[in-house]
Amino acid sequence: MSSPAALLQPDASGPRLTSRGDLTSFFMQLAADIGADSYMLVAIVHDQDRNDARIVSSNWIFDAIELIGKRLIANLALGPLTVAPGVRPKPLVAAHAPEAGALLTGEEARLLDVLGHAEIYSLRLNVGRQRLFVLFSAAEADKIDLTALMKAQLKCCYALSSIPQLIAAASMQDPLSDRERECLFWVSEGKTTDEVAVILGVSSNTVNSYITHAIQKFAASNRAMAIATAIRSGII
Amino acid sequence: MRRAEVREAAAALFNDQRNPFGAFSLGSETHHAVTIPDAVRRCRWIAVDINASAFGLYFVSPSPERARLVACFDSDYPGTAVATKFISGANGEDVVRHSRISTAPRWWVDGIAGSRQVFQSLAWAEEASPLAPGTNGIAFPVHADRGQCGLVVFLGSEIALSDETLCEIHARSFALFAAVARIRPGDAGRTRSMSKRELECLKLTANGNTSEEIAKLLKLSVHTANQYLTQSTQKLNAVNRNQAVAKALRLGLIE
Repeated sequence: MSSPAALLQPDASGPRLTSRGDLTSFFMQLAADIGADSYMLVAIVHDQDRNDARIVSSNWIFDAIELIGKRLIANLALGPLTVAPGVRPKPLVAAHAPEAGALLTGEEARLLDVLGHAEIYSLRLNVGRQRLFVLFSAAEADKIDLTALMKAQLKCCYALSSIPQLIAAASMQDPLSDRERECLFWVSEGKTTDEVAVILGVSSNTVNSYITHAIQKFAASNRAMAIATAIRSGII
Repeated sequence: MRRAEVREAAAALFNDQRNPFGAFSLGSETHHAVTIPDAVRRCRWIAVDINASAFGLYFVSPSPERARLVACFDSDYPGTAVATKFISGANGEDVVRHSRISTAPRWWVDGIAGSRQVFQSLAWAEEASPLAPGTNGIAFPVHADRGQCGLVVFLGSEIALSDETLCEIHARSFALFAAVARIRPGDAGRTRSMSKRELECLKLTANGNTSEEIAKLLKLSVHTANQYLTQSTQKLNAVNRNQAVAKALRLGLIE
């Protein structure tokens, strides 16, 4: 698929990202522009009943991540404070955190405050069908410019859209081949193996083998679980 | 300058009720009470702000086979604009593939060349083939909470956009789509209410448990567990368990 855009000469000073280094400098610059001190880009990986955060890029200090823990980061990203693009974000204020529901314990909130995350905003990013989350935080309350933050959310989506391979590799959300994905989609539509074979014009043994591979790649125990994993990560 | 007059009059009437991102970002409660005519009005607001003459909102069908856009409404609501027929036809296939992997807006110029310069100045937007012949326009890929994917399109030969307003307009398109997706969740409206037990069984099935395991976990007999699963499959209008799991996840009945 060669779009006219691909034929255009890219602007040397243009914002398209090409490497991991670009990604880091893009987020550092963006955080500085909106008045944030730190950022963390995370992908959520579903593992049976649990959610785990996979950190793609971050300038949080190592100890902060270790002390807070990835589980808590995942809960924060999937929690009620996370907003989609176009919705006015609400911050998690570490000092008031214990009253903000069961997200944080008093001790964790104190740690966050000490480590320079007095106020944390959690934003959902859509990169095509992939979903990522970015946390912007500041050492003092009211330092982050809300309007700039809402615009920055879209800029993050655009920037990440320009490096799809890196995002896919980092979040490992789509390990399937096209055929495996197609088979799994039709099974999720309630088709039997024989019906899928007719739809795709291959033998039913081939269909079964594609589905078995998909199940193995997801480390699922059966078809239903493979479908659930694929839908949860937005693959089908 | 008829458009400028319209904008002034509108601003004089409504400006105090608006914030930089339109009424949708005021608070979560405003997200729910929206009707299609309401959404059309809000979309017209966005169109006025960027000087577009026409607009449309489309859903991307979830199937990987049918790469088509399904029209929800356009600027001729309750009728259908000619451009919509092209966009929901073969012209839309390429942009559907694009919106599955990227959130970057796409623009095209096929009419009066005037707006080419405006579009070319947008750092994050890409040029694409025209969605409707003889028009200029820009298409914003949008995504809602439950994984629904769509496209908000603005047409016009005098569209005014800059890098800063691009983000704002895209953010408002996201909010608009999220609101529309909530009132038009596919076949969710016709789903009969599911019992707590049925949802529990369905959730355990999604986590890879067999009927026997579910029976053990929930302290039921295997027959009862199967009974719950059969009922939930029927209520979701699915043909088997796999489809029931898929539907329940897509509708957000289970996480």
